[in-house]
Amino acid sequence: MRSSTWLPWVLGGVLGLLAGVFYAWRVNPVSYTQTDPTSLRADFRMDYLALIASAHAGTGDLGRAQERLAVFGAEGIGETLGALAQQRLAAGYPEAEARALAGLAAALGERPSGLPLTTTGTPGATPVRPITTTPRPIRTPQATSTRALTATPGAPFQLTRQELLCDAEAVAPRLQVQVLDASGRGVPSIEIRVIWDQGSDRFFTGLKPELGAGYADFTLQPEIAYTVELPGSSALVTNLEREPCTADQGGSFDGSWLLVFSQPAR
Amino acid sequence: MPRFLPRFLLGLAVGLAAGLLYGWVIQPVEYVDTAPNTLDAQYRTDFILMVSETYGAERDLGRAQLRLASLGPEPPLEKVEAAILYAVEHGLSRDDLATINRLAVDLRTLSSPTEAASP
Repeated sequence: MRSSTWLPWVLGGVLGLLAGVFYAWRVNPVSYTQTDPTSLRADFRMDYLALIASAHAGTGDLGRAQERLAVFGAEGIGETLGALAQQRLAAGYPEAEARALAGLAAALGERPSGLPLTTTGTPGATPVRPITTTPRPIRTPQATSTRALTATPGAPFQLTRQELLCDAEAVAPRLQVQVLDASGRGVPSIEIRVIWDQGSDRFFTGLKPELGAGYADFTLQPEIAYTVELPGSSALVTNLEREPCTADQGGSFDGSWLLVFSQPAR
Repeated sequence: MPRFLPRFLLGLAVGLAAGLLYGWVIQPVEYVDTAPNTLDAQYRTDFILMVSETYGAERDLGRAQLRLASLGPEPPLEKVEAAILYAVEHGLSRDDLATINRLAVDLRTLSSPTEAASP
């Protein structure tokens, strides 16, 4: 075939292709004004999730909240909401919004099980199973006074209990923290800092009110040793990592750590 | 040479069609990092319904307006009224309509003194 035969075809085809793609991508692209929430920029997407949670807090309609969340996919949405609650509280957003996020996360099942609550008493809290691994040293709170315990604002928190919780039903091994005042009541909005060799994070108590005002948790990643501290307090726990528990039917699974920080009695 | 132009034009047309097919159907533009003002009317209305539901519990009109602001520069009342129209056209429940309408009523009372003061 001579070049004079195919050259116009090729030249026209290439130019037409380029012009078509240019028109379709730049001049008149598809549905720019009909986006769905998944295409939102990350910060807007987080705002959208927060709005879903706030609406749920206002109406209590979990089914509708789930329908709204479905567009984002069900995978890990509860965890995302829980993490967002922590981030928003840390960033100074209204506490009501953080609570709404935490409330929706809890309603979606993003909650640890096996947490012993000694303060407010949570309906449905399951008893702690006996520890089947070698437990870490547990500091038992010492009663130093027979006077009635009273809250001591500003007094530094101390670690009063450290326990491995073996609950095979738990979604993931967690660091579960309870912060209590001198009278044994949970203290909300207390910052807890976790540090590991390649990073750090912080989370706050009170975002899962159904587990107690002083409760907070953090998912433990495998093969990472964490240090936990309460800023402004001498309370420091080091080398905290996943520990195996023995299952009833044999085998093993990773347990969760419970840390209880308390203010000393006056 | 006299045959060049028809062939070229035909090739151009085929290429153009292939380009449009590729750009619109096979590999259309995917928008990421969009803002809420580009949301489809269905999601936009649901966004306003969520703001209304939250407002019903919080009774914080300032915060409701702040939330509505992310939907674009139009006045908040205009956006809420558009949502009511969409809700009526698409058969949303009476409860949802009432929820959105409550916000519209409160926004209207907020904007009416300004309107009265204007010449």
